[in-house]
Amino acid sequence: MSQQVVAQENILELRDVTVSFGMNRGVSKVLDDVSIDIHRGEILGVVGESGSGKSMLASALLDAVVDPGTVDGEVSYRTDSGETVDILDLEDEELRQLRWEEIAMVFQGAMSFFNPTMKIRGHFLETLKAHDQDVDEGMEHARELLTDLHLEPDRVFDTFPHELSGGMKQRALIALSLILEPNVLVMDEPTAALDLLMQRSILTLLDDLQEKYDLTIVFITHDLPLVKDLCDRIAVMYAFDVMEVFPAGDLSNSTHPYTRSLLNAVPNLTTSLDELRSIEGSAPDPVDIPSGCSYHPRCPLSTPECEQEDPPLEEIAPDQEVACWHHEKVDEELPLALETSDGGSAEVYEGNQSDEPVVVMDDIEVHFETDDGGLLSLFDDPEIVRAVDGVDLEIYENDVVAIVGESGCGKTTFGKTAVGLQEPTGGSVRYRGQDIWETKRGEGTGDRSYDEIRRALQIIHQDPGSSLNPNRKVSSILQVPMKSWQSDLDVEDRKARLLAMLEAAGMSPPEDYADRYPHQLSGGEKQRVALIRALLMNPDLILADEAVSALDVSMRVDMMDLMLTLQDLFDTSYLFISHNLTNARYLAGRAGGRIAVMYLGEIIEIGPAEEIVQNPQHPYTQALHWSTTDLDSNSEGEADESPIRAIDVPDPIDPPSGCRFHPRCPEAREVCATEKPSLDSGTDHCTACFREYSEDHPYWDSEPLGEETIGAHVGGESS
Amino acid sequence: MNGRWLLKRIGMSLLVVWSTITLTFALIRLMPGSPISRMRAELYQQYGATMTQAEIDRQVRLYLNVQPDEPLWQQYITYLLDTFQGDLGHSYVQGIEVTVILADVLPWTVLLLSIAIMFQYTIGILLGASMAYAEGSRFDFLSTSVSTFLVSVPFYVFAFLLIFFFVFQWDLFPQGGKYSTGLEAGSLAFYRSVLYHATLPIVSLVITGFGGIALSMRANSIQTLGSDYIRGAQLRGLSNFRISYRYVARNAILPLYTGLLIQIGFLFGGAVILEQIFSYRGIGYVLLDATLYRDYPLMMGTFMVITIAVVVGVFVADLTYGKLDPRIQTGDSQ
Amino acid sequence: MSDASIENEDIPLEVVSDVDQTWQDTVRSLVNAYVLVPGRIMITDYRALLGFGIVFGYLFVGTVGVWLMEPTTMWDGDRLVQSFETMAHPLGTDPQGRDILTLLVYGTRPILLMMLSGGLFIITIGTAIGTVAGFSRGRLDQILSMITDVALTIPGLPLVIVLAVTLNPESPVLIGILLAINGWGGLARNLRSQVLSIREEDYVEAAKAMNVSTGNVLLKDVLPNMMPYILYNFMSSMRGVLFASVGLYYLGVLPYSQENWGVLLEQAYSGGALTTWSMFHWIFWPIVAVVILSIGLILLSQSTDKLFNPRVRARHE
Repeated sequence: MSQQVVAQENILELRDVTVSFGMNRGVSKVLDDVSIDIHRGEILGVVGESGSGKSMLASALLDAVVDPGTVDGEVSYRTDSGETVDILDLEDEELRQLRWEEIAMVFQGAMSFFNPTMKIRGHFLETLKAHDQDVDEGMEHARELLTDLHLEPDRVFDTFPHELSGGMKQRALIALSLILEPNVLVMDEPTAALDLLMQRSILTLLDDLQEKYDLTIVFITHDLPLVKDLCDRIAVMYAFDVMEVFPAGDLSNSTHPYTRSLLNAVPNLTTSLDELRSIEGSAPDPVDIPSGCSYHPRCPLSTPECEQEDPPLEEIAPDQEVACWHHEKVDEELPLALETSDGGSAEVYEGNQSDEPVVVMDDIEVHFETDDGGLLSLFDDPEIVRAVDGVDLEIYENDVVAIVGESGCGKTTFGKTAVGLQEPTGGSVRYRGQDIWETKRGEGTGDRSYDEIRRALQIIHQDPGSSLNPNRKVSSILQVPMKSWQSDLDVEDRKARLLAMLEAAGMSPPEDYADRYPHQLSGGEKQRVALIRALLMNPDLILADEAVSALDVSMRVDMMDLMLTLQDLFDTSYLFISHNLTNARYLAGRAGGRIAVMYLGEIIEIGPAEEIVQNPQHPYTQALHWSTTDLDSNSEGEADESPIRAIDVPDPIDPPSGCRFHPRCPEAREVCATEKPSLDSGTDHCTACFREYSEDHPYWDSEPLGEETIGAHVGGESS
Repeated sequence: MNGRWLLKRIGMSLLVVWSTITLTFALIRLMPGSPISRMRAELYQQYGATMTQAEIDRQVRLYLNVQPDEPLWQQYITYLLDTFQGDLGHSYVQGIEVTVILADVLPWTVLLLSIAIMFQYTIGILLGASMAYAEGSRFDFLSTSVSTFLVSVPFYVFAFLLIFFFVFQWDLFPQGGKYSTGLEAGSLAFYRSVLYHATLPIVSLVITGFGGIALSMRANSIQTLGSDYIRGAQLRGLSNFRISYRYVARNAILPLYTGLLIQIGFLFGGAVILEQIFSYRGIGYVLLDATLYRDYPLMMGTFMVITIAVVVGVFVADLTYGKLDPRIQTGDSQ
Repeated sequence: MSDASIENEDIPLEVVSDVDQTWQDTVRSLVNAYVLVPGRIMITDYRALLGFGIVFGYLFVGTVGVWLMEPTTMWDGDRLVQSFETMAHPLGTDPQGRDILTLLVYGTRPILLMMLSGGLFIITIGTAIGTVAGFSRGRLDQILSMITDVALTIPGLPLVIVLAVTLNPESPVLIGILLAINGWGGLARNLRSQVLSIREEDYVEAAKAMNVSTGNVLLKDVLPNMMPYILYNFMSSMRGVLFASVGLYYLGVLPYSQENWGVLLEQAYSGGALTTWSMFHWIFWPIVAVVILSIGLILLSQSTDKLFNPRVRARHE
């Protein structure tokens, strides 16, 4: 798209923009002399880790930095008529008109962007009125936008924000941001809270909208691979400044050591597993930014020159700027680890799973009754949510099974059933042959006590903020497991042991960490404490429920490595739950484990990790695969067409008949709507899809259900 | 409106009324030195042998709605049915039906308290919101201190001070009563007189009541002001008026409702003290009177009616809450 | 550290300690947690300090003060001596010549007893019902919630009046409980919803996975989170009992064996203290006694949140 623009006119130019906050520790510069141009009609990705100042950049573009922050410098905006205005100099009323009419913004925490006491329609109406627009015309436009975003306008207008799912709310917000037909759309982590598949679907729609309405988009994110295909150019931020800008199509265009290290730290679906390296050290404090190049303390290429002088952002090729003294050496010293692995060449942590199953789950069903009618329902007969519906799984010793699926697919409920924290409403869970719930009720026949089973099955949660009691210190938290099953240890023994564990998990000095409250730990450290707490029970199986999803991208590999190291030492198995195929691949792949894909309460495909990743069979698994960007591809500036036909997951209260995926499946035929494929068995790699059945199955003679997929839909309409 | 939610609220209200009736029954019938034996003894003393046992029981039944010679459960059922039909027995001192007495005084208390609540919340909400907007200013500090002080003063203490200054020292307001005598009911002068007499009781409730509301409104507003949707509304260029009215106020008021529910009960209870101080013959005054004269039927009846009044007040508040907060009816509210 | 390969001999599961902790260490850490740290936090906050000073002052007067003063009798002094006229009667005397200061000091003790018993009653019942209801699902929760709602709705003062007239209690402790009889509803309802959200916290589930007993979960994981709120409620309940007791004594519906502030207020009011300046001090000083204690409780209650907040505690250790 931008390639077709002959003269690359800049719609926004930032010059020496600085945002600072006065704090009692000193002045904190959360944006440090940033200069960058934004071309008309492009999609610019701004990538950085948390605390890199990228959100401040978004706020500065609209002169919307929250008090008591101050913005200095120059933000020039070129209007359609060719006039140039400095946004930072505008009067209040001019600024009010510029915002949303010229530049709109979708910022972080979009889930709480809507007034909880007002219907969605009200938000559109009041925005139109506040900008003196024709309401009827505007609402007509709103309907079109919502339709473009695969929402039913009438239904959405009449709901309150809390009645919409996260993905719907996010799309309604995008529609709201475009209601006044702005030229520029600034989006700050607009999809971070959503599932990967939803993120990718929204990105696809965004790509179409950009074309249809001729938008310039600034897309701010921590997830470089996510936006690679969407963006025209990518700007990388580190320590409150832009490190480099490069054309997005090919990641090997990047020439800054930080970008390279960041890319090499992110798990993906193709890179060979042992190439991943996390970045040493941590990002600097805004009060105390290192002199010279702010990245030099962590940079492997750093020389005395880097400590002395801050490299300026200089143009090294068309559309490409970098701020590094040594960018020529980057290709040689820090090659991108993008070469495709040959399917399992990675060093595998002893794949010594025995044939002895630790936990066997047989035809598990978990059905919840709910009082809450949910979306728009006013009738209150308790409804049944079929969270898990007939699932079998065996987990062996030293095994890793990763469960992948969208939120609401029942993977967490299923995981909790596996470790005996959720009682199934049907089927049985057996620990080493002994039914857990019968044992708990005292009806079992086995000789193991419930206490013993309880000790063997542990859990690590998703949210580091909630997994540790905020009122207890680390040392007290970590003594609980030992008090629970090693009553022979006295206080001093327990303390000595937990200190040794903290040390082993890389939290040094351990005495210091033991004496901290959870709020004094970083997210990654909290997760480590949670892992140690689980391991101190000496368990046979640990349920790791999205245990790395809340961490910064570069920390995830670190945490997973620690999990694998400790697995070897403690002889434990993991049931790893994730919505992200790449994390699942990393953990399960390195341990020679399996990946199971769940959809609406059922496992629809399961097999060895690399098999599932390299050779997905089920259309849903293929969709998940599509949702994780191929870092190696050279597709430029366009997200390819989505392989699903509907964005939103159906309501688990009333799941679709036949194959549950058929309403979204691009391969669905009429028979899929009435008959349900079962998970074929016998081989390592099982798939529940008629396409895996023999050629005389009625599927092959049945009529296709529809061709349209998401990308095609909007694009077709707009042209 | 969510039918099930409404049914639940109605059921809850009935449950409270039923509990109160049961409680009064238990108190009358089961407590040592119960009203029944007391009444019997008095009747016996009064009429001696001239009154038969049956006649005494008939009298007891008339006044207390209790038939002493029936089995306990039957007495309870009779009592319950009578009460639900609006028969609260006869006043023992005045000899007329309890309902007649109460119907006469209840509106006055409701008048007093509803005006007081209205003023308390209007002043509290406006002041609290302005304090939040001016957070950290001298005005904020002063208002916070004054509000905290006013919360520390019981309303009756303020009533004493008002009486001392405005009645006895400066002679600006009447010391008691509901209206001046000799005015034609319904005339303008009559209504003026009613308001004039109600001023001091209302002022004492309002002055000591708005502080607490202002403090919570301040805290709620500060929290709301920091929320994402306020920032979003500002970016969308909405007017300050719309933001403060439709966004901040609307969302900051919601948590005040829990307080309102408790406040209604508190005010009706406090009416006993308030009306005594100002010699204002409302329902609280009647309750105290009945208590001091040991007029059990009137006392229990008044207690029941006060409870019902609170239940109705809470029910109405609940209904408006359901209208204001869409999350209530779908059960999504925390 | 990602590559830090841990050698097998490092397995920390086998580590034991060679030091023993003595009971002195235990006492020291307890004193530190419950006396020193709260003390240090309080010193930084002048409002908390003021509140603590006021409440402690009343406690002192109610306990030691009574021993230091002779009780006053009729015609101890002249009739209606004004305040600050003589050192013998600093606050003046009532129409019967009794010393008002002495009356107030002697009236402190029963009031404090009522407040304490009422406050304790409210937080005990409220915490018990609220946590049990929140932690048990189903029928028990429904029943307890219903009882809570009933208690919350029945207006307090009329109920207390009706009960006081029928039951006729005299001991301050019993009266305190009577005054608090349905005051626990708000606390119970609020704690129930707090427990409902805490029980969904991941760390509670982790504790269950580690086979920690429900009692221990309540004690170690649930209650500490609610302590600030419970303490806050303790203070405001005591204030409620103070207001109610003084008010009801003033109405003359509560029996008493010993004079207290409420009784003084009643005597002053019916003695016509509101009609002239010359008797105003008679009703004024009991009012001041009530209001200052109430302010002290409010100031103290505003600081409870800080005392238990781990973020604040961490800075004072």
